[in-house]
Amino acid sequence: MHTVAPQVSLDARAPVAVHDLHVTLGGVPVLRGVNFQVPAGKVVALIGPNGSGKTTLLRCLLGLQKFSRGEVRLFGQPDLAAVAARVGYVPQRFELERSFVLSVREFLALRLKATRHWFWQRHQHTDERLRAALEEVGVEKLFDRPLAALSGGQIQRVLIAFSLLHKPDLLLLDEPMAGVDLPGEQTFYDVIAGIQRRHHLTVVMVSHDLSMVYRQADWVYALNGIICCEGPPEKVMNADSLKEAYGIHVTPYHHHHHHGHPHVH
Amino acid sequence: MFTEPFMQRAMLAAVLLAPLCALLGVFVTARRMAFFSDTISHGALIGVALGFLLGFAEPTVPLLAVSLLIAAAVFWLRQHTELTTDTIMALLLSGSVALGVIILSLLKIRPGEIQRYLFGDILAIGPGEVGLAALLCVLVATGLLFDLSPFSLLTLNEDLAQVCGVPVRRMNFIFVTVLTLAVAVSIRLLGILLVTALLVIPPAAARNLSRNLRQQLLWSVVFGLAGGVGGMAAAYQFDVPCGPAIVLMCVLFFLFSLGLKLSRRGDQPTADATR
Repeated sequence: MHTVAPQVSLDARAPVAVHDLHVTLGGVPVLRGVNFQVPAGKVVALIGPNGSGKTTLLRCLLGLQKFSRGEVRLFGQPDLAAVAARVGYVPQRFELERSFVLSVREFLALRLKATRHWFWQRHQHTDERLRAALEEVGVEKLFDRPLAALSGGQIQRVLIAFSLLHKPDLLLLDEPMAGVDLPGEQTFYDVIAGIQRRHHLTVVMVSHDLSMVYRQADWVYALNGIICCEGPPEKVMNADSLKEAYGIHVTPYHHHHHHGHPHVH
Repeated sequence: MFTEPFMQRAMLAAVLLAPLCALLGVFVTARRMAFFSDTISHGALIGVALGFLLGFAEPTVPLLAVSLLIAAAVFWLRQHTELTTDTIMALLLSGSVALGVIILSLLKIRPGEIQRYLFGDILAIGPGEVGLAALLCVLVATGLLFDLSPFSLLTLNEDLAQVCGVPVRRMNFIFVTVLTLAVAVSIRLLGILLVTALLVIPPAAARNLSRNLRQQLLWSVVFGLAGGVGGMAAAYQFDVPCGPAIVLMCVLFFLFSLGLKLSRRGDQPTADATR
């Protein structure tokens, strides 16, 4: 287990670098001096209990949340808007209003500059591009379906396709497994892993799902207002460090394969 | 029917305002803002009362001013209190109706006079109202022409839109302002009690027939236009208030689209299965 010493300087090229980040929401300090850094090409997971500031931290990276102190840099840039084109974002599953009939094709077209004014105009070229994006996540059949009629797992895949349209270098995922039905889980892991490999993406994901983190992440940060500990999954995800992050008793849990596999009870 | 100038103006206002509200309504219903529109329109009763109090011949100016104030109050209270939006709007709605009625009864305004504002009045549409309606139509049409994509993304999810570079705050502000003005102007035609129907029913009818947003926007405008023109003609023909006539016409179109949807559903499972 590592304790994080405050960093003096931020890596100028790291896709994500956060230094001494403080956020207070409604008078409650949510982040109290977070330092962390994500090297290029790695999959980094942020874990922690509810209210530990995982989503707040992600929102700071996206420029959606103001912070009172500290520094956030993406690709060395403090101005997040300047690097927005290099960042893909998959939001936490959100409620879709059923009376709004945006089709999957129309939704994806909203991301393209070429279709800005009349997103419904069909061009063979853009349609091919949109279909290819759906194919990559295995849902090309949904092309003309209304977005609101899809299942949770299908919506997550469409959101991933949307985030990949601009060929980002950094992908930020907020609870990607939320709303994914159990039988779909296994393939969903593989979809994210495959995309990460093919596109050489740097991935930061917030996740509740420790088994996903265990399988996918190169490096894990356990967050609870501050970074409690960090390291490779097999090191961080043992009972002691999880207890420190979650403040509850966690027992390592043995799967059919031989290494310990911690679960939160 | 169209030989009389007041009827020409009323019909022109219907042709402009009904499709405008129907178009805005697609986004209003998607963002669950129907109750917001109700709050604005009921708050306008204070504007009507102030019009009488201050001796305006037509209360359009105080009506617009009060509507914008109520909209601002909704957002101010949402920012500065922990109350839910529902509670805030219910508070403003009932409070402003109460204040409006008290002023009107102190002024001893006849109930028949007030009814014109509650249910709409063909005679109330002056050249000023028609001009304002036309201006709003031009604004919304150009706005949507240039910003339909970012606005649709914003309607779906504000965070995602902001990350994609959409100026969320500015667009929300423009949308709420235009919506408030559209509701306030439409009150003269539809009445305080019924104006929200024009925002809700055409998009709902369009929803029954649509599989994508393009279809929903087009059908909504078609239903709005048909309901507005048809209702106005019926109001003239049968000498009934134009607000209820337009709303009933829209309801008829809704039932028609519902019937179409249900009859289509019979063969849809097979069509879906082959996909």
